[in-house]
Amino acid sequence: MPPSIHPVHLVTVLRQKSLTPAIVFLTSRRSCDEALQAFEHATDPLPPARQENITAVLDELTAAYPSLQDHPLRRMVTACGVAAHHAGHLPSWKIAIEELMRRGCLDAVFATTTLAAGVDFPARTVVLTQSGVRRDQDFTDLTIAEVAQISGRAGRRGKDSVGFAIVTPSPYMDLGVLIRGLTGRPEPVDSQFIIAYPMVLNLLKAHPLDHIQSILAKSFAQYQMNAQAAHLEHRIEKLHAKLESYKPRECSDWLTQWNAYDHATRQTAMKLQARRHHPPEVRARLPFLTPGRVVAFPRFSGIVLRRYRSRGQRHETVTVLRKGGVVAESPVADIMGVIDHTFAFAPAPAFPWATTEALSWLTQQLEDLPKHLPFLTVPPAPDDGEGELVKSLGDLFPCPSCPCRPTCAKEFKAANTVKQEWLHHTRTVQSLRTGLWHKFQARADILQDLGYLDPAFKLTADGEWARLIRIDFSLLITELIRAQAFKDIAPSTLAGLMACIAYENDRPNSFPRISGVLASLVATARRMAEALAAYDDPPLLRADVGGLAERWVGDATLTWAQLCRATSMAEGDIYRLLSRTLEYLSQVHSLQSTHPDLATLAAEALSRIRRGVLEELP
Amino acid sequence: MTHDELERALAELPFRLLRGLGRAIAGPPALRMGKRRLIHTIVAGAEANSARIEATFRTHQAEQGALAAGPAPAGGASSEHKSGNPADLRALLEGIGVPEPRPFVPDDWQVEAVEALERGDVIVSVPTGSGKTYVAVEATRRAMYEDRTVVYTSPLKALSNTKYTEFCKLFGPEFVGIITGDRRDNPTAPILIMTTEILRNLLYDAAGGEIDVRLDTLGLVIIDESQFLADPERGVVWEETIIFCPSQARLLLLSASIGNPHELAAWLTCIRPTPCHLVRHQHRSVPLRAAYLHPNGKLTPLFRTVTMPPSPSQAVLHPEAKRLFTLFEEDTVYARRSG
Ligand SMILES: Nc1ncnc2c1ncn2[C@@H]1O[C@H](COP(=O)(O)OP(=O)(O)OP(=O)(O)O)[C@@H](O)[C@H]1O
Ligand SMILES: [Mg+2]
Repeated sequence: MPPSIHPVHLVTVLRQKSLTPAIVFLTSRRSCDEALQAFEHATDPLPPARQENITAVLDELTAAYPSLQDHPLRRMVTACGVAAHHAGHLPSWKIAIEELMRRGCLDAVFATTTLAAGVDFPARTVVLTQSGVRRDQDFTDLTIAEVAQISGRAGRRGKDSVGFAIVTPSPYMDLGVLIRGLTGRPEPVDSQFIIAYPMVLNLLKAHPLDHIQSILAKSFAQYQMNAQAAHLEHRIEKLHAKLESYKPRECSDWLTQWNAYDHATRQTAMKLQARRHHPPEVRARLPFLTPGRVVAFPRFSGIVLRRYRSRGQRHETVTVLRKGGVVAESPVADIMGVIDHTFAFAPAPAFPWATTEALSWLTQQLEDLPKHLPFLTVPPAPDDGEGELVKSLGDLFPCPSCPCRPTCAKEFKAANTVKQEWLHHTRTVQSLRTGLWHKFQARADILQDLGYLDPAFKLTADGEWARLIRIDFSLLITELIRAQAFKDIAPSTLAGLMACIAYENDRPNSFPRISGVLASLVATARRMAEALAAYDDPPLLRADVGGLAERWVGDATLTWAQLCRATSMAEGDIYRLLSRTLEYLSQVHSLQSTHPDLATLAAEALSRIRRGVLEELP
Repeated sequence: MTHDELERALAELPFRLLRGLGRAIAGPPALRMGKRRLIHTIVAGAEANSARIEATFRTHQAEQGALAAGPAPAGGASSEHKSGNPADLRALLEGIGVPEPRPFVPDDWQVEAVEALERGDVIVSVPTGSGKTYVAVEATRRAMYEDRTVVYTSPLKALSNTKYTEFCKLFGPEFVGIITGDRRDNPTAPILIMTTEILRNLLYDAAGGEIDVRLDTLGLVIIDESQFLADPERGVVWEETIIFCPSQARLLLLSASIGNPHELAAWLTCIRPTPCHLVRHQHRSVPLRAAYLHPNGKLTPLFRTVTMPPSPSQAVLHPEAKRLFTLFEEDTVYARRSG
């Protein structure tokens, strides 16, 4: 979001208060360009003397950078004394703006925040217009270091007695972030060590495998991890001492023993829980509810045929024979009393749980029973879950009868927490100390499987040349070379593919059409990248991007302006794409001694890319 | 109310009420939040604070009702800050301009850094724009006297180019070379400018047995913007360069202010043959002041003090800046960011 103040108004205020030259940091290239466009209609141009100054500087620079000659923004900059500076511009243009700023010719430059680190020119004032920055599709707060980097541009030594950081609001600005950034202490620098394939090959070229660990140990990554590990080890020692304080027991490893026992106890307890679910007086009756027992319900009495608990039910149920031969199910809790009378009968394995004869006999018996029978007095059951547990686990564990049991029970929870923490830290320390080495080994194993390293982890013939490819996606490129994918292709096709591999942006843009040869080469590369996906993240491999490099290399008469018209990409982006392609090609070019044909191809592509704008800078 | 509805309803509230609500939910940090963040904070804490949120909506309705019924509630509020305090603004802008020209005298820390290089590696961590280049140039000059090669690396091609021009002017183009990913200009010169990746590759080759004369006489490696060590993608290259840097060469790490320069120095001391000397300070050579510019063109100090507060906890906003920012938040149409 651009700031709410109008850019012309902003610059007017800065001029009035003698706060120029200023760098105005904006979120996007587009806001920079739009801010500049706003000056198109500004009424008052710079005084002629200042305009002449700017023209003189630009003319001077044009000698070294011909592309400045007809730059479309030249007129604006000269007339208004303001400019935009962002990655969409050619390096030569950015150099010109920087030089103009250094010489004090401009009043304001609109620059993107993302580039704060790459902006090497100071000003009297910096203007902060937002508190966030776009990072991979996401908007995140500026870090303290970033705000410091931005505000550090304010106040030129020798030219300013004081510098200014001016905050002007835009929608979504969080003032707190900027205040913290302006007054806080920058974040610490932390290692971002990663082990890439070229590193593995180059290290193993120079050192035997058993020296590697000591080399990795020199990294800042390992230094920081050692510090962390030392910190944890201190903690581990303390935990160990704490564990020691839980004295030795009957068993040497009482924590494990008790843990197993405790687990078993809980398992059994769950089984027993169902029974415990009944109130004590009901539970006390359970042992009496055997088949044949006469029981009394509030309205009737009956004979128990069986007792059971259905799946998922907590309560037990009895099947009862009632007067008139009715067989019904009743929860045991409904039983009012147990009568001191039982009948022995012949049971059956299924409903109605008694043989037909038995059933009719029992029905008869029930009719004959006297009306009022005495209840058995059953004392409420004590909470005997423990007792039952002890009985059922006694065979498996010594614990139930062990003299240490109460102490173990009391201390287990605390001691176990300590032990778990101890274990966790011990594992962390181990991975901190050896993690890098293991990662290196994993990568080396892959390279061995692919044939770049021999069984002794020495470079094979392929490894010897593959180690010279030291760019992202090196594995993909070396595998393509081994698969002879570049045989019999034109320099423009090679350049096109390298552009596809080098380009890591997924922003939509329109590009010139690519040739059929390049399309099929990209398809080959994509298949290869997929096959290698387990070892290395595949590149985006956008086919359309390759069209630009292919055309630039393929058609020597194509001018820069024509190339720019062939795509919707910004000039600066095209330049960056081609210069990255150059970098990739020159890596391929370094394989002269083993792949002379390929190196010649790359050299051809290199010399064809380097023309016009691409020749302006070293 | 769904979150979206709540968000929209909150956006209708005056900033004053939002902030009161935010404070009740998130505590004092809410006082510095912008409108968007306040609303997100409130929505996030809505479950636990529904009563309070409803009460705020009621207050708002009551106020609206009162506004419709009669004149605005009287109070000095509006007349009180009609126009901030002009004296404060004058104090803020005081002394603006070009200082008296003075002969160039290196700062103590610059001299200290150059001299410490005689004895071992050096890390310089000072604020941006302090004059780290002087240290680099002076150290280069000394190495040249001793016929030693100097390598200067920076993270960006653009910075390398600027430095190349600068060094050519200082030492003469025949003594300066530049090597980039795809081109080498005068690559056997005693002073070589390159990106960090290129130096790392040279060091790889040297370790692999390809003798490079330049590395034999290498006396000084200057790593500019060495805070790039923390870059997620490229940081590893800085580490490799430092690890593989030949022991006879001195390392000069130039970095902007970072949080842990001591740790870096301790690391270098650990892995390098000579102890590493740390030169650091937080003092800006040109003092910095902060201001707030309202969209209507009104400029006011950002903080109550003219000088920068030394830490976030001591940063007190100037009342006028606070009032104007609150005003801005209230006026801004709250448009929900889509996607
Ligand atoms: N001792 C000094 N006295 C006066 N001016 C100095 C002194 N040292 C350096 N300068 C000037 O300070 C300015 C900034 O210096 P320089 O570019 O070296 O800063 P830096 O620390 O490298 O900043 P950055 O973090 O932006 O790279 C230069 O114009 C330089 O001439
Ligand atoms: Mg510098």
